[in-house]
Amino acid sequence: MKVVTIEGTKREELGSKSAKQLRREGNVPCVIYGGKENIHFFTPETSFKDLLYTAEAHTVEIKLNDGSTKAVIRDVQYHPVTDEVEHVDFYQFQPGVPVTIEVPINLIGNARGVRNGGRLKVNLRKLRVKATEENLPGKLDINIEKLRIGQAIRVNEVNAEGFEIDHEPHRVILTIQTARNAVEDLEDDEDEEGAEGEEGATEGAAAEGGEETTTAEA
Amino acid sequence: MLQPKKTKHRKTFKGRMKGNAHRGAQIAFGSFAIKALDEVFITSRQIEAARIAATRFMKREGQLWIRIFPDKPITKKPAEVRMGKGKGALDHWVAVVKPGRIIFELDGVNSEVAKEALRLAAQKLPVKTKFIIRRDYAGA
Repeated sequence: MKVVTIEGTKREELGSKSAKQLRREGNVPCVIYGGKENIHFFTPETSFKDLLYTAEAHTVEIKLNDGSTKAVIRDVQYHPVTDEVEHVDFYQFQPGVPVTIEVPINLIGNARGVRNGGRLKVNLRKLRVKATEENLPGKLDINIEKLRIGQAIRVNEVNAEGFEIDHEPHRVILTIQTARNAVEDLEDDEDEEGAEGEEGATEGAAAEGGEETTTAEA
Repeated sequence: MLQPKKTKHRKTFKGRMKGNAHRGAQIAFGSFAIKALDEVFITSRQIEAARIAATRFMKREGQLWIRIFPDKPITKKPAEVRMGKGKGALDHWVAVVKPGRIIFELDGVNSEVAKEALRLAAQKLPVKTKFIIRRDYAGA
């Protein structure tokens, strides 16, 4: 998981009046909790560019006047009309204590079913993952190359090494739906014949649940 | 056209639209959306016209989500009737839209197609809107 560093200043005055003043000046009021005491600070809105507007989860190192803290984003509030960041909650890491965050999925390849005219439907773009700081993945890679029309990838098919996925095991992450212009999968026979020999060796591995797979990038 | 299957009350007060939308103000399903910038009543006819405009442009590709529902009955008195004698009869249904409300969401098409489809849809609506993209949208 990548680490993004942001610099902040501790808030001397709390309350909505000072928070509004900070927003007017282009800052975002933030809070860190989960440690011994809550820390209220502010940081320029531009610091969140690499943090919120990316397709990857990040760990944040927050540098304040008196030292730095490692944390993850727990909650973000946006303005309903302008979509500006209004407030950010950070959850501080405790050594050895697992935290739960939402990690985006990263699709690898063009699905076979989509090449045959099917439609890829993604039900879950992010998965809730529980792990300690060092094991948290930045994104969950899911290989959909071999996925045919009608097939799906479920939560229990994701290779969760070092972390726990906080969803029902049979929940569908994505599926290839049939569409009007879908054609029959003609590659069927060729692939199976050709692949049989090759797959023989990897059969064992596939049977263990790693067929359409997914790896986590730490 | 969209309308409720059943209602608790046949007629409602006019009401006032104060403040911004807080529910339904973030993208939840698709990658692209249009967001209302003013407060307005959008009728079920307008929603349907906008939906048709967007889906026609997409040529059966992608998926469209309608994030508003016309659940407010609007009544009207017949023409050339004197005032009084009670509230008029049900005329049509509207959705109450406040600034910030997501009206349509779209996915399964590229950003150029989505932008044009939603522009065509926005033309059918009686409100100023803006086109927005999911924050973690990575292209493709």
